[in-house]
Amino acid sequence: MSRLPKLPTPAALLFSILYYCAAAALSAAEKDAQAVQVKIGTILASNQSDEFDSRLRPLQKQLKVMKYRSYRLLKEETQSAAWQGNATFEIPGGRSLVVTPQESRNKQLALQVRLLEGEQPLLDTTVRLPNRGHFLLGGPPHEGGVLILSISATLP
Amino acid sequence: MIDCKSASESLSAWLDGELRGSEAEAVGAHLDVCRQCAEQRRQMESLQAALKSALELQASSLRFEPFWRQVQERITEKRTWSAAMMDFMHSALAAPRLAWAIPVVIVALLGALSIVPAWRASRNSFASVESIDPYGRNVAVLRENETKTTVIWLYQNPEGENEPSSEAADSSSPSF
Repeated sequence: MSRLPKLPTPAALLFSILYYCAAAALSAAEKDAQAVQVKIGTILASNQSDEFDSRLRPLQKQLKVMKYRSYRLLKEETQSAAWQGNATFEIPGGRSLVVTPQESRNKQLALQVRLLEGEQPLLDTTVRLPNRGHFLLGGPPHEGGVLILSISATLP
Repeated sequence: MIDCKSASESLSAWLDGELRGSEAEAVGAHLDVCRQCAEQRRQMESLQAALKSALELQASSLRFEPFWRQVQERITEKRTWSAAMMDFMHSALAAPRLAWAIPVVIVALLGALSIVPAWRASRNSFASVESIDPYGRNVAVLRENETKTTVIWLYQNPEGENEPSSEAADSSSPSF
């Protein structure tokens, strides 16, 4: 007759639960202390040529959604921002983009994004995106085309 | 010298040879002088002899060979994993062991609570717009399924204000 496997005792299981809860709490606290890496790519889209900037190859499919003929990367910048802290990016045309990481929940980051022209606010939005995810913000006219901002956030 | 009560209590152990030297001697000495206890001893010895003969009679009529053959088969048989699992489940679900089912359920629930939201979040790779204030301008939010792209498009000029030239208007309005 084969011996049955020995089952864990209730005390061992209780210890496991407490260990799990403590580890989860420590992990959450550690995440809160970390800064968020915010990366902005400033892209000029227009119909004045058929040029496609090779540096934008990873974004090619996403950019083609907007059906412009030309896409050129003007600028790329990465900043660290603490939770509830601001990261300000200069955007061509006297504009600026202020990104404020708000919270992290279920492996998703909430970002408040404000687009300003000088002191005048153009847009204020809160977007929730997966870690290392990105979204596009477009529309401001620039040099006969439009600016498209690729906004991504990474929590290390 | 012990009394009848003590001798009676120790009689069974004395008959089985379980008493130590001085105790055994004391009971034996009492039985030599007490007729009542000696009679009790005689009755108990008769009973033991009757039981022994009955058991021996039964044992001789029992066939042990099939029993041992079955035991050997059980020892040597290669059991299937499903039978082993069933045995394990029966054993695990026996009443005294059900106590650990409660912490197991709690651990399972905690695991599910931590895994399900992360799993759902990983499936939803879209960026989602929670709130948006375009300060009176027109704005469009596009979610493109194929590339899982979220686009916020800001139409820069409010209606009737700072109308763009036709060329600029063509360039600033994408054909999604």
